Amino acid sequence: MDKEETAIEYSVNQVPPLRHLLLSSIQHVLIMFVSLALPVIFASQIMGSVEFTANFIAFSMLAAGLGSIMQSVGLPFIGSRYLCPNVCGPSYFSLSLSAAWTGGIPLMRGMIIVAGLIEMALAPVLQKLKNVFPTFIVGLVVAMVGVSVIKISVASVFGVAYQGDGIRNSDIIIGICSLMVMVLCNIWGRGFVKTYCLLIGMVFGWVLAVLLLPEYWHSILEVHDVPLFALPSMGHAFTHITFDLKMLIPFTIIAISGSLKSFGNLLAAQKISEPGLQEPNFVPIRRGLLADGASTALAGLLGGMAVDTSSSNIGLAGATKVLSRWISVGAGVIFVVLAFLPKISTVLSLTPKPVFGAAIVFTGCFMICIGLQETFSETWDPRKTFVVGIALFSGLSTAFLPELYARAPHVIQIFFTDPLPTTAIVAVVLNQIFNIDLIIGRLKKKNHR
Amino acid sequence: MTGCQSRYENLDLSMYQYRDTKNLVKFVYDAASILEKEGMKGLDYFRHNRTMFITEDYYLYIYDTDGINMFHAGMEHLEGKNLADITDKDGKKPYQMALRALEDPHNPHAWVHYSWWEPGKFFPVPKSSCHFKVTTPEGTQLFVGGGLNYPFEEKEFIRIIVDGAVDLIEKKGKSALSEISDPLSHYHYRDVCVFAFRPNGDIVISPIMGSSIYGIQLLECRDQVGHKPFMSALKKLKSKNEAWEIFMVKSRYQRQLVKKCLYLRKAVLSGEEIFVGAITNLPMPV
Repeated sequence: MDKEETAIEYSVNQVPPLRHLLLSSIQHVLIMFVSLALPVIFASQIMGSVEFTANFIAFSMLAAGLGSIMQSVGLPFIGSRYLCPNVCGPSYFSLSLSAAWTGGIPLMRGMIIVAGLIEMALAPVLQKLKNVFPTFIVGLVVAMVGVSVIKISVASVFGVAYQGDGIRNSDIIIGICSLMVMVLCNIWGRGFVKTYCLLIGMVFGWVLAVLLLPEYWHSILEVHDVPLFALPSMGHAFTHITFDLKMLIPFTIIAISGSLKSFGNLLAAQKISEPGLQEPNFVPIRRGLLADGASTALAGLLGGMAVDTSSSNIGLAGATKVLSRWISVGAGVIFVVLAFLPKISTVLSLTPKPVFGAAIVFTGCFMICIGLQETFSETWDPRKTFVVGIALFSGLSTAFLPELYARAPHVIQIFFTDPLPTTAIVAVVLNQIFNIDLIIGRLKKKNHR
Repeated sequence: MTGCQSRYENLDLSMYQYRDTKNLVKFVYDAASILEKEGMKGLDYFRHNRTMFITEDYYLYIYDTDGINMFHAGMEHLEGKNLADITDKDGKKPYQMALRALEDPHNPHAWVHYSWWEPGKFFPVPKSSCHFKVTTPEGTQLFVGGGLNYPFEEKEFIRIIVDGAVDLIEKKGKSALSEISDPLSHYHYRDVCVFAFRPNGDIVISPIMGSSIYGIQLLECRDQVGHKPFMSALKKLKSKNEAWEIFMVKSRYQRQLVKKCLYLRKAVLSGEEIFVGAITNLPMPV
């Protein structure tokens, strides 16, 4: 690798000049907007009114923005202090819908608070696991963070919102061209162009979309009636919080899965931000998980969607080598401000789906490659081959064969959910089993002494 | 902004969720516009540009009001034949259903659902078709249609049949019930059917079987997550004329729970209040 490729533009604790801080924060905010499709779909699935949808989006933005600030600003005891913003978490989507249908928004809020508290309780437990996460497994987990966005990113590049729906050629052209602009600016660009390759690609994609598909232009014109400034109101749906014991188990499972995903994200953020570390430092990881749980609980309290750390934003940091945590704080502040400016947030949320998809593919590439480099940086042996191989077979099979797992025994369904948590769990367990002879040998040696 | 005006400005597609459905309606609407403008000469245009009116998913056809097929982009051999009484594998008559749908005020794009076959294939496929009526400049009455093979279920499809059933019940009273429960009627398609029940939950037309069966307490029915969709819909109907209720079911082929929705309306049957509804699938986000 040459020096140019590894050079860091802004390190994790460095404060960039105001212009760069603002532009970089905006670049991250654009990626964070991808996740706002979730509260919109959520509101439509529970037949929420226009007013409910607007408030729900605003509360979700507030939770994600405040969570991003909490994660990076440097509060005592909480927050990883890495560039690792919060977004609306897809893992909670289905279960939150179930809660909303069963007991309305009050139950959804209550169960999200519970899930957040469970995530917080898990933070110190995961720190204790540091011995079971050798470097090659950390790398594998980071790579799987990138793999976990493949489904949503590719579907978005094709401009598809619903499973099985029709595809427009124009959307594919917009997606591929946007991705190419981002990639080429990153490869051949210098200075401004390289640092803001994603922003340039997204603006290019927007312009191309308006030229190719008039409906994108028409949708912008419809924003005319949306107010510039509005305070989210605690309407009828947002006044109560309730709990249901029957929902505790599914929400606990999702909280564990969410913690593992954030664990992977935080490991990736650490790897990118502190490349010199020989082994993971679990103190910021624990603090980060604590902040992640607190943000989720805050989302429930406010009445927004559960939030999660964003893999795509960490990938963007890796791609641009702009790693300053103050950018995460800046993005959080912008997200909070935009929650009160519905006209601007609506325009941003209208960004064509293929452009969003291209942005996630772009950032996912970095996550996958950083992870794989980390995995194979160690001396290799057959034990590692089988740990990594079987973990990948297991994790990826959950994405390739969902119908198989739909009919698997319940206990398998609990642990084999998505590629990221499944790969992580299987790799950790197999690594212990395949090294049992070495572990016993070490114990015997200790006893002899 | 006239330069940016869409030719579909008068075509309301907001009720559809799938892009495939919207594309089909636009496709048929465009063809109807050509025929309205060009008249019977337009038929020659369609015949000379046959490949423009057939895609992998749908094709165009045109009938006159006597049942003669004037143009068929997918099955040329049907042109000139009278298909007024042709039946599908279930005994449904697609042509008659289309004529009826074109007169239905609840069905703005004249949707009908039946079985057909794909050009060159030899097995039945489910189909949903939309239609537009055209009066050519010469004064000839025709209708233009196109259908999706293996269509997605749209919420709009059940709204059309439930609203139609409510009208029929209020107009014809008890005699409407046998028409609505007839599996050959347009109130039944694929797994969907219109059903009715009294406020205490007693079934008037079963949502499951051809005849009412014992043992189903609709109001107490729960979905996979414990939600009571019928009970919840009835609460909404205290202050509204119609209610949409979403619920979740377990599919043995999918990891995630599948979303379905119930559309329910109030109707008056011989002075007694009843509820009329139907259930369909909802689109699953990617």
